[in-house]
Amino acid sequence: MAAPAATAEALPVNRRARRVGDRRTVRALHYAMLSPTLALLLAFLVLPAIYVAWLSVNSSTYGQDARFVGTANYAQLFADPIFWRAFWNTFFVVNGIVYVELLLGLGLALLLSGPVPAKAVIIAVILAPYAITESSGIVMWRYLVEPDVGMVSYALGRLGLPQLDWSTSPAQTLLLASTIAIWHHLPFTFLILYAALTTVPKDILEASEIDGASRWQQFRLITLRLIMPAILIAVLFRYIFAIRTFAEVWLLTEGGPARLSEVLAIYLYREMFKYHQFGMASATGCFMLVMSLLIALPYLRRMYRETLRHA
Amino acid sequence: MRKRTPVERLVRGGLIALALAWSAIPILLVVLSSFKEASQIFEVPPALVFRPTLDNYRALWNERPEFFRALRSSLIVTMGTTLLTIVASTLAGYVYARYRNRLLSGTAFGMLAARMLPPIIITVPLFPILNALRMNDTHILLVLLYAAFYVSLGTWIMRSFVAQLPIELEEAAAVDGAGLLAILVRVVFPLVVPGVIAVAIFVVVFAWNEYVFAMIFTTRNAKTAPVVIAEMLGTVEGVQWGVIFAAATVQLVPVLALVIALQRYLVAGLTAGAVKQ
Repeated sequence: MAAPAATAEALPVNRRARRVGDRRTVRALHYAMLSPTLALLLAFLVLPAIYVAWLSVNSSTYGQDARFVGTANYAQLFADPIFWRAFWNTFFVVNGIVYVELLLGLGLALLLSGPVPAKAVIIAVILAPYAITESSGIVMWRYLVEPDVGMVSYALGRLGLPQLDWSTSPAQTLLLASTIAIWHHLPFTFLILYAALTTVPKDILEASEIDGASRWQQFRLITLRLIMPAILIAVLFRYIFAIRTFAEVWLLTEGGPARLSEVLAIYLYREMFKYHQFGMASATGCFMLVMSLLIALPYLRRMYRETLRHA
Repeated sequence: MRKRTPVERLVRGGLIALALAWSAIPILLVVLSSFKEASQIFEVPPALVFRPTLDNYRALWNERPEFFRALRSSLIVTMGTTLLTIVASTLAGYVYARYRNRLLSGTAFGMLAARMLPPIIITVPLFPILNALRMNDTHILLVLLYAAFYVSLGTWIMRSFVAQLPIELEEAAAVDGAGLLAILVRVVFPLVVPGVIAVAIFVVVFAWNEYVFAMIFTTRNAKTAPVVIAEMLGTVEGVQWGVIFAAATVQLVPVLALVIALQRYLVAGLTAGAVKQ
């Protein structure tokens, strides 16, 4: 699936430059063209991330110089039950989101991969939640589940089922937050898998049908294997993004009651912006960074080989 | 291909209807209810036919002037971010598509790895520094931050679109004596417009809707619409649902229309930039 690779030779600018006799100008030009992108990444992502690593081994807050404390922040972090609570909350939320979304997205992509009337309209509607801001998404879902008056709450009450209690029960808060996150991001997972399904060659499926393969066999042995790379990419990116979950929980309960529904991003936010403990916030940040990189490791290794292969 | 039985078609139809309901109902309910009177908003079952009123919009206009200021901020930030991201990623994408050496590959890989970084962690070092530089609560700061989050995806998309162009076009232009800038502007750019549109959709949707960073880095002047909507939801003296629905509707209509109108570019962009390499 490699994009058509440009070769290093036979390039117009190089050729022209050779004629002019100044390759260095061309090289300088390349870096000039890359500089806006690289400057943005360096200034706002790479250098701050390095600085976070340094801050995480220091103790500091506003108006106080950083003082080197070694691993004390990490020791304090790992001894904090609220941190572990946030870690496990994140763990369940992330895994729930990723796999439920994968199942729904795959099911939906399979449903729509055949001939379906008004397919473009259906896909447009399915994509709609992607266009909604997180805060409006919360508005929409709270409208449905507001205690006593929301439609879902009302329907549960009429059916004699127990009332929703998402504002005081951490488990329900996280369940609702995960539902809203899935609602927001299902379009992403769906699109990736749908795009992959459209590339599965019809003739292979037809040939297998003639050979007497059942539909389940076709799916398991052909379709699923062919779209596996796309599934892995969808899962990877959803993991990376789900670890960042913040707004859904924050806008429902701000991590309460009693910090029981916090996720890691909220824990970091609180340490930083409520308690001004830069060291603790940085240690949390490094922890999240390492988790993200560990999950992304297989993908990054493959990309590393691919990007450097042609160099 | 196999024929589908009527039962199977019914099940498929039902499942698709369910998916449509799941996606659309929360949005539709809020948009519809924004035209209802306060007493009708929590009626069950919700009335689908009712006399629409603009009271909520009037109240939004009169009582929440900060929402419209925020909408203006959102517009400025979105346009700035889109412009900056497109220029930066087209230039970088071109270089990555057309030239290769070890240093370029190294930076390309670094760009990819940078996407794995959870953005919230950079608030820790950036907030105090930007505060000292008096850059907090400015439009330009949000533009730079958002662009930084999206240039790597943008570059990746543009790289793959440029790589699909036949190089002969550029060679011909070079033989005719065009310089690199002329080649870029007159030959390459018009041919990668679909890529530019794909990048633009991703960036517009992100910048228009971003909540966390806008919440952290703005206090008044640069506050964006999603932050104000969230604040309206968090008021202690009882939530004015109708007014929030009006605000949410105003905020979502333009970008929802954009996504629906340009959905095929979204697929093209995802395929080019995020998925396949």
